[in-house]
Amino acid sequence: MQIKPILAAMRHHKAGTVLIALQIALTLAIVCNALFIIQQRTARVSRPSGVEETDLFVIRSDWADKSDPRRIDAQMQADLIALRQLGSVQEASSTNSFPLRGTGWDNFIKLQPDQVKMTTDAAIFFADERTLAALGTRLVAGRNFTAGEIGAQQPRDALHSAQVIISKALAERLFPQGSALGKTIYVSMGRTPSTVIGITDTLQAHMTGSWANPYAYNAVLIPARLLNDYTYYLVRARPGQLAAAMRDAPKALYAQSRMRIINAKDGVMSFAQVRRRAYERDVGMAILMGIISVVLLAITAAGIVGLTSFWVGQRRKQIGVRRALGATRGDILGHFLTENLLIGIGGVLIGAVLAVGINLWMVAQFEMARLSLAYVVAGVVALLLLGQGAVLAPALRASRVSPVEATRSV
Amino acid sequence: MLKMTHLSKVYRTEVVETYALRDFNINVKEGEFVAVTGPSGSGKTTFLTIAGLLETFTGGEYHLDGVEVSKLDDNARSKIRNEKIGFIFQAFNLIPDLNVFDNVEVPLRYRGMKSAERKQRIMEALERVGLASRAKHYPAELSGGQQQRVAIARALAGSPRLLLADEPTGNLDTQMARGVMELLEEIHREGATIVMVTHDPELAARAQRNVHIIDGQVVDLSEDPRFHAAHAAADQAHG
Repeated sequence: MQIKPILAAMRHHKAGTVLIALQIALTLAIVCNALFIIQQRTARVSRPSGVEETDLFVIRSDWADKSDPRRIDAQMQADLIALRQLGSVQEASSTNSFPLRGTGWDNFIKLQPDQVKMTTDAAIFFADERTLAALGTRLVAGRNFTAGEIGAQQPRDALHSAQVIISKALAERLFPQGSALGKTIYVSMGRTPSTVIGITDTLQAHMTGSWANPYAYNAVLIPARLLNDYTYYLVRARPGQLAAAMRDAPKALYAQSRMRIINAKDGVMSFAQVRRRAYERDVGMAILMGIISVVLLAITAAGIVGLTSFWVGQRRKQIGVRRALGATRGDILGHFLTENLLIGIGGVLIGAVLAVGINLWMVAQFEMARLSLAYVVAGVVALLLLGQGAVLAPALRASRVSPVEATRSV
Repeated sequence: MLKMTHLSKVYRTEVVETYALRDFNINVKEGEFVAVTGPSGSGKTTFLTIAGLLETFTGGEYHLDGVEVSKLDDNARSKIRNEKIGFIFQAFNLIPDLNVFDNVEVPLRYRGMKSAERKQRIMEALERVGLASRAKHYPAELSGGQQQRVAIARALAGSPRLLLADEPTGNLDTQMARGVMELLEEIHREGATIVMVTHDPELAARAQRNVHIIDGQVVDLSEDPRFHAAHAAADQAHG
């Protein structure tokens, strides 16, 4: 192997060698972390919501007259009847919020009335007996609400309900030793107990921020209509009739009463749109990280091509001499590939340390997850391959330098 | 050892054909020290590059150490250059990034020789040229004469069958040139075959045999009027 003389010769090209090695190191450090962020964001985006998303859409109705809660309640019940009567609609329900909405109520959940600190946090969804059907979420234990259990309350009223349905994740979090069914919990730091009458399968909370990761699947369903300034209707279209239902539903609501505002832009949204909106920052970040990675890799590859081309031009005579002394084309090709590999190894060693360092800093600053070493290993392999790929063209050019160059005066 | 028969080298462009060598014949026997002389542009260097397999030729035959080389592929030519030919260039052609030891080692590495044998050969060659103590020096730290000695050591280390020297003293002052010439003579006395291209009639005179090239052909000096004309011009120029 030619490693020793190549290393010896590199000492005479310190500036270029160090610059390329540092470029490789920085690229590795940034690309490893960027890819890790992409993976994290992609994993978040592809989390299941626990909702049958196909054929589901939501309507937000803002009330024009908010003065009388009883009239709002009556209007909501009339709206639901009107929606359920539509031929394109299979099911409809009212709620204050829903999975992936982004904002909504989340409240402390505790197990004892006098508990000072919360046991956990959970999304609060006001629901009726048809909410689970509208969402397409099934119960894994217990029973659904009955129509008679559904009440009505205003936002400022205390949250206390004799019965609640909770999500599976919340049940397991609160009662890891056994079933939550029939057990008592306390919602929103209140002192009134709520009995768990049902447990749903996976049901995602409305919160999508990374702060809420520990509570992402905690949800409590309260059997009531929330008489707020607005309400959401969860509407499940009959299979394949989503577009028709999304067109018919707001017309039916306006036919019921024009004393409302359904925003033309986002007042009616399919669940696919809800999902897109919920994760648009994650997707945007993943795309940005992807672009940064590609640009950095391209710049590094261009740097390697540029520097090696410069070196080949600068060393034509030397290459000719080596050829005259017996080097084959393969030897010359190998010389430049080895030289690049050695620089690359130096770069990736520094880069691997930097990658872990940057990640540890981000873990401390932004509560990011720890970088898996698999990313560093994959990054190292990718950067070394990129280097070898980038150096190939100039190295092949070098291998074609004729030995007769040795006799030419510079 | 080196035999060229009716050899030609033509450089072609779209409009002209230029014969660098034409019906070129030479036969160098083993152990000979031949000086190749001739005016600039006569084809001396072309002869040397073809002799050293640095370049291909257009027509004719060239036998090197009994092997007809025209059909050899690039790798085989590299192997012959590496094993059978030692080059000494006018500009020394040492690799500036490598120290003396590593420079001498270059052809031996391409031969795939084991480290211990390489080291032994390098030190022997450096001792031979009187530069063993400078093994760790870089070319830039040596005088021109010393650099050429390193180049000779590099050529000798591989124990070549043929030494090709292209104006080996062309970049040296008189004293250094004398030293290098004496070294070549010594190497020749030990049995090496040397073909040296030179402008210098004094150096040429020290070789066993002189071959003169004019217009790409070997000529008999005594019968060629161009030689006398060239000599007369040179004498006039020197005053």
